[in-house]
Formats: sequence, structure tokens, C-alpha cells
Amino acid sequence: MILAQASNPLVRWEYFIDEWDQIQRALIEHMELTVYAVLLGFVVSAGLAAIALRFRWMLAPINGFTAFLYTIPSVALFGLLVPYFGLSRTTAVLPLAAYTLLILVTNIVAGFNSVSPEVREAAAGMGMTPFRRLTQVELPLALPYIIAGLRLAVVSTVGLVTVAAIIGQGGLGRLILDGLRRTFWTPMTIGASLSILLAVLLDGLILLAGRWATPWAERQRGSP
Amino acid sequence: MVVGQAAVPRDIGILEWLFDSQSWTGANGIVASLTDTVILCTIVMAVAIVTMVPLAAWLAHTRRGEVSVSWMVTLSRAIPTFAVAGLLVPISLRNGWGFEPWPIFIALLLLALPPIFLNTYTAIKQVDPGAVDAARAMGYSPANVLFRVELALAASVILAGVRVAAVTVVATEPIRAFLGGDGLGRYVRDGLGQNNDSLVIAGAALVAGLAGLTALSFRTIERVALPEGVRRVARTATRQE
Repeated sequence: MILAQASNPLVRWEYFIDEWDQIQRALIEHMELTVYAVLLGFVVSAGLAAIALRFRWMLAPINGFTAFLYTIPSVALFGLLVPYFGLSRTTAVLPLAAYTLLILVTNIVAGFNSVSPEVREAAAGMGMTPFRRLTQVELPLALPYIIAGLRLAVVSTVGLVTVAAIIGQGGLGRLILDGLRRTFWTPMTIGASLSILLAVLLDGLILLAGRWATPWAERQRGSP
Repeated sequence: MVVGQAAVPRDIGILEWLFDSQSWTGANGIVASLTDTVILCTIVMAVAIVTMVPLAAWLAHTRRGEVSVSWMVTLSRAIPTFAVAGLLVPISLRNGWGFEPWPIFIALLLLALPPIFLNTYTAIKQVDPGAVDAARAMGYSPANVLFRVELALAASVILAGVRVAAVTVVATEPIRAFLGGDGLGRYVRDGLGQNNDSLVIAGAALVAGLAGLTALSFRTIERVALPEGVRRVARTATRQE
């Protein structure tokens, strides 16, 4: 069977037209999973980073915890959640979000730590309230770091979403598995290439959005 | 495509399956799958170490290849392993190389290269120039400076990079079971295919356990292999960061 199929071409271009609906659905699902996971990860990370910045001694345990989550194999984490949430979107999003925490918490904390004490004191000396200091001074200065973290998180999540295909989610990853099951290479090639393209595209979009949001940071760009 | 599936009754308990000697033996047994996984990961790591440590050491020693660092950083985060392996499977089959092991091998190798390269490169670059100058003044040959001063002082950071790479590789290898291969990830696959939660959880536990064990053993190696002095230097270095 494999030998007979092995000669079928990597891409049959008519697949794009015939199966466009399916490609489109997979692409949208891929983006949805990415956005949900990164949003959830970002909200949790912001909370964890706030705790770590307020109580310094919490930084090490929080880092340890997020690093521990990051080392859990994706196949294991998806598998472990199946009995509780079934083959659902929740089962896909929770691990994906968990994997973003390490990058996001590290970068948010680094961003706020990069604000120099002189700047903080100047803001306080000008009579700014703590809330205004946070939103109008510290947050904008931390933004380049946070955006750098978001880029890494989005790119790695786009790549990991494909693995969620093993629990019936996974957007473009489903095309890969589908092609593998039928030994039909076109969906595999399309699924894999589109997921790589999507990562590059989203990375570029966030980069541009970041440049637009922090025009003053042009010079000291090159944050971690 | 799927050669053999583990035949497991659906109502079996997690521990019941794990402690059944039949689960461990035979062609579909845990021992055989574990061996598969460990062999592949070992080869990947061996190739990554043998290529990256000398390359990065030479580049850092001669102060060359600054650009390669930023490439490696991007590569380390951006490589979608599942997509890369999925793209390589058709190519491999069309060339008659089979489902395994080339696609998963290359995908895992791409994952292992960056941490080893980056840690070796930065570690050697950060070696105290005073130590290098002292060695030169004492008449060390360039090769001796590299091997007995720079590499020796960089050893702990290089080993840390090897550990990160090994844990990532072991943690990612289970996707092989979903790409036409076997390995330790097969029980999660079989469990999902047979709608058997116990098998999925037990399989996931095995996969996670192996990753944890890998991290632990490499930490032990770091502790045992490095002389106390080097470890103390490494500790103060991390504290100063």
C-alpha cells in the first residue's frame, strides 16, 4: 500500500480548490486556538508577574513552577486532560496556555525590572498616583519586553497547536494527521507549510504592532 | 501503518495496567517502547553534541559567527517540530526511506541543536580573559588554551545546555507515535484510539516520567562530573546575573 502511494506528488494543486472549505476551517481553528491559548496565558502570566514583582521572594517559586510546566511533554499533558475534558477545545487550550507562562512571566518581570529607580522617583516626585505611575510610566517602558515575550509565545504556540491534532483539535495539525492516515501527501504538505507560514506572519504582525505602539523604543530595541 | 496496537481491556485500572508484567514485556511492551525512545533520543543527542560543541567552541574561541547566535535563538523557539516532521514524512517515503527514523530524527535534531550551541558559544565567550592571558603567558598552546582553560571553565554552562536539549528532545519524541512510528508515546495514541482513559493516563505518566527522569539524571551528572571549584564559579556567576 505504501509503495503504491509513495509516488503521489507532495502537492496536488487542485486540492486547494476542491477542499478549500476544509483548509479555511483548519486555518481559522488554528488561529482561534492560538489566540485563546495566548490570551489565557497572558492573563495568568500578568497575575503571576504582579505577584512576583510585589513579593520578591515569590519570584523563584513562580519561575520554578512555570519552568516545570514547560518541561511536561505535550503529548502527556494533552493526554492527561482527556479523561476530564474529553476531546474538547478546553483540553487543547489549557496545555497550550500553560506552555506560554514561562516565556510571558519572565519577560513581563524583566520589563518592569528594566524601569530605572530614577524614573520611578521622578514620576513619584511629580505627584503621580501609584496607579498613574504604573499605567503611564512603568507599563510603556516595560512594553518592548512584553511584546518580545508575546512574539515568542505566539510563534511557539502556533507550532504546538498542530500537536493538539492528536486529541482531534489542532487546526492545521488535523490536515497533517488526515494526510498521514490516508497516505495522501497534499494535506500534510499544506497543513505543515501553512502552520509555518502562519507563525512567520503572526510574528511579523506583532513586531509591526509593537513598533507602532512603542516608537520611542526604536533605539534600545534588542531586548531579550 | 500502525503495526501493532497494545491490546488492553477497556475497564482496566491505571495501576492494574502499569503493574501487570504483560504490559512490560513483548514487542508491544513498555520495555521495548522505552528502548526505542531512549535509543533515538541518545543518537539525536550524540549527533547534536558532537557537531555543536566543537563548532560553537571554535566560533567563540576565534570570536566569529556573532550572527549565528541570533539565528539559533530564533530557531530554538520557532521550530514547529510536529509540522517539520509532518513535512518530512512524505519526502522520506517518496525517496523510499520509510516512515522512520529520518523525519522524526531531523525534527528532534533541530530541537536539540540550539541550546547546546548557544550555551557553548556564550560560555566560552564569557570565560575570564585574564585566565586565558595567564594560560598564554605560561606557554599554553592555542589548543591547550581551548581545551584546558576555556572548555574547562565553560563546562558547567555547556552541560546545562545539554540538559535542556535532552529534556526537550525526550519530551517531544512521543509525537513520533502519531507520525507512523512507535516509541513511548504509543500508549497515549493507542489509548486515544481505543477510547481507553486508563491507557491514556498511564501512557502520559510514562512519557512525563521519562522526561522528569532525564532532567534528574542530567542534574546528577552535572553535580558529580564537575569539580567543586568550577561549580562554585558557576554558582556565583548565576547569582550575579
